[in-house]
Amino acid sequence: MEYIIADEVLANIEKRGLKVDDVKSVIEGAGDDRIYNGSVFIAKKEIGDLTVYARYAVDGDKVTVEAGYCHKMKILDIVLVGEDSEWKYCKNGEVVKTGHTNLTYLGATRSGPSLVEPKSGQSWIEEYLAAGALTTAEGLFQQKRA
Amino acid sequence: MSEKIGETDALCPECLKTIHAEKIAEGGDVYIVKTCPEHGTWKVKIWSGADDYRRLYDFAAVPKTPARFAVEKVVDCPHDCGLCDRHLQHTCLNVVEVTNRCNLNCPICFATANGCGYDYHPDMETIRGMFQTVVDYVKSPRCVQLSGGEPTVRDDLPEIVRMAKDMGIEHIEINTNALRIAKDVDYLRALKDAGVDDFYLQFDGTDDEIYMKTRGRPLFAIKEQAIANCAEVGIGITLVVTVSPDINLHHVGEIIRYAATKVPTVKGVHFQPISYFGRYPIEPEDENRVLLPDLAKAIEEQTKGMLKADNFVPTSCSNVHCDLKSLSIVLPDGSLFPLTTMALGPPCSTENVADKTRSEVSSLWKYIEDTMDGPAESDDNSWRTFVNRAKTHYLTVSAMAFQDVWTGEVERWERCCIHVVTLDGKLIPFCLFNTTARDGTTLYRRQTFCR
Repeated sequence: MEYIIADEVLANIEKRGLKVDDVKSVIEGAGDDRIYNGSVFIAKKEIGDLTVYARYAVDGDKVTVEAGYCHKMKILDIVLVGEDSEWKYCKNGEVVKTGHTNLTYLGATRSGPSLVEPKSGQSWIEEYLAAGALTTAEGLFQQKRA
Repeated sequence: MSEKIGETDALCPECLKTIHAEKIAEGGDVYIVKTCPEHGTWKVKIWSGADDYRRLYDFAAVPKTPARFAVEKVVDCPHDCGLCDRHLQHTCLNVVEVTNRCNLNCPICFATANGCGYDYHPDMETIRGMFQTVVDYVKSPRCVQLSGGEPTVRDDLPEIVRMAKDMGIEHIEINTNALRIAKDVDYLRALKDAGVDDFYLQFDGTDDEIYMKTRGRPLFAIKEQAIANCAEVGIGITLVVTVSPDINLHHVGEIIRYAATKVPTVKGVHFQPISYFGRYPIEPEDENRVLLPDLAKAIEEQTKGMLKADNFVPTSCSNVHCDLKSLSIVLPDGSLFPLTTMALGPPCSTENVADKTRSEVSSLWKYIEDTMDGPAESDDNSWRTFVNRAKTHYLTVSAMAFQDVWTGEVERWERCCIHVVTLDGKLIPFCLFNTTARDGTTLYRRQTFCR
């Protein structure tokens, strides 16, 4: 596969403490375990303590990476199922909904908006939340460890 | 049975000569034992819990030496302080005393204000010289606490603040008893406009019986008015509590609960167990002291576990036996959600702790950046709501154990990062600067300011 990663995307990946190889491994290991909105995919994979995400488009053997991001919080159960989203889960063909999922970190559990597929129990966190509120909350918790 | 766990140098409480000291574990606690050939032996309890005392050494940061030394070669530490190349840690907070006059006459006062027998009230050029010492010897970010005496007895304090800012001092806090800022909002506003970043506000409790003992007069209403005025003007406060075992140790939980109701104006509570230097009412026995582990335990008991002893960690900037600190988010019901815990273990990197701590002093208020994009959330239990609240509704609860002539030791002085600026261009660890012998003879204070 040939990867196309814009400078800005690459900079964000590195800023978030990820390696490009982490993002590639998410993409290459996804199989059907990913969601698709007709133009781009989102796939996720646990690597060490992180859940790493890739958002990307595929054209033949060319993969254009739109984003790579991660969170340290562990995904727990879905707590709210909302309306249909534009996404489908490739593994079972079900429409993915907007919703809320519990996330836990260092003993604290709170919810966050997510894309959810209730039948499989799967949740995906979008970039804005992972790179924003979740990163800040993780940073607060880890202020004394850095 | 006792076990020697360390050696250091200390001072004789009678003659202030440097004498050898040992630290011993006995009965599960830690004592400093020192003998002066002329005046005898002293044995003073300095820590509750010998295992805890040892474990804290793992939290020690790799020290960062001062940028420059004012003293080239020390013959007799701690008598020739200034700092010298024996000093291990650079300066995080510079204390600049701008007067020894005070509008209170407290039974407890480290500076012996109103009663030391001389008047110290430097002119602007003298103060400029002290700020220049900070600029010359301390790297950015430079943090200065204006102290005294009571700094707000000076009408020209706003000008002093402005001068400091113009000279490149980034962070200014004022150590105050709150009397003036409680009654003079225009003065308070002038201080803010001049560049004061926050107040270090003397606050011994929410009960006037406490103030009668510590300050000689009821002051709680004045403290409340000062906090209200700071809220109106928009300036942050740290409540600073002198903790005494028989006066207000029973009250520390109540102080924390009160502080939580005053966020975001109140940013923190800083407990300072009473130290026996300057003016104090009695000669101390072990039971007249509040040791940091006992304070943390009292906080846990009195907050009913809302803030546990385990939530307190050393800042790792000063000596690990000098301070403890916690950071909590204040939830809407007034309860605390602690973010710090000893369970996380020592910092992963002890290399940059000092820099981080220095930076934290000046930027803690701005720590949590606004990273919130995306759609709004209505769920009060969401991470985003939590972080949004954390931006303003947080409370640090910290403590620092100042050393006096009975408890002081070179091992702690040489890692101190809070330094008093002298008139002759030196920086001296705060505790050392204020140390007095049993008869009141000062080690540095009078020699510096009585001219």
